[in-house]
Amino acid sequence: MAYKPSRRRSPKVNEAMEPNMTPIMNLMVVLIPLLLSSAQLIKLSVIELNLPPAADMQTEGKKLEQKETKLDLSITITNKGFYISSSSAIVRNMKGAPSIPLKDGVFDYAALAEKLYQIKGKASGRFEDTNSITIQAEPTIDYQTLVSTMDAARAIKVEEREIPLFPKASVSAMIL
Amino acid sequence: MDMFTIILVFLLKAYTSEGQLVQPSDTLSLPKSTLKAPLETALSLVVSQNMILVNDKPVILMDKVVKQTDFLIAPLQSELQRHANEAKRMEAQFEMPFTGKVVIQGDREIQYKDLVKVMATCGMSDYPNMRLVVYQKGE
Repeated sequence: MAYKPSRRRSPKVNEAMEPNMTPIMNLMVVLIPLLLSSAQLIKLSVIELNLPPAADMQTEGKKLEQKETKLDLSITITNKGFYISSSSAIVRNMKGAPSIPLKDGVFDYAALAEKLYQIKGKASGRFEDTNSITIQAEPTIDYQTLVSTMDAARAIKVEEREIPLFPKASVSAMIL
Repeated sequence: MDMFTIILVFLLKAYTSEGQLVQPSDTLSLPKSTLKAPLETALSLVVSQNMILVNDKPVILMDKVVKQTDFLIAPLQSELQRHANEAKRMEAQFEMPFTGKVVIQGDREIQYKDLVKVMATCGMSDYPNMRLVVYQKGE
């Protein structure tokens, strides 16, 4: 007849046991390289670009009819600064000095955004296309400048609030 | 153990299911922008300082593009047209819609006159919906 195992020989352990970490560590060792390989450390984004007006042949006829109500705002980037022009009379300063000249040899994007903000204020409600803007440039202007100009034209921060200006940018195929 | 947990949480935060669409390289440094818009997958067109690549296949050297005065880049157009035809055939057979989207990764140093040539060629080769890839600035 077998005796019950002695209680005294195998006492119940009352103190907290150390949990076995090995399986969790194994999991970590696998998970971390996996996530590291798929982590996106550089954030990318995309700018939606509209067709250059010159390639947009079908709507050309319509454009001519609606000329009166169109603002047709455009920025021209030159080595001297930005020229802002429009087919309507709100801004007319194509000849002579740039609307926003270079500031200390670099493009003054803040002033450009400020100026566009004023134009937006004057133009909203009076024209149909107060969201779109055409950007054209001199041949030697680089891509970064073009993108920065689009950024300036897209929105402005006034008192910590983003106010959209002309988010629909299109690039003109015309070379000056 | 604690350290591992912190790393794990950080990596989970940075995790994206889309994977890396753009491999940064020496010849291609994208412009920076304040815009925050998610990437899309489409036909990729890389305009680096040396050459133009369509879906990682070299099409034309940049030197030739710089020299030409014409807007249309002929080798690029034929390549794009080939992709467009393939995509249209897919649309007919498998009902995958052809959107005419092309994702342009341009180097920040390329000049406007060359950029316009690339864009004009895309517009004339059934790819009018252009997306410009940029780095997100800040944060």
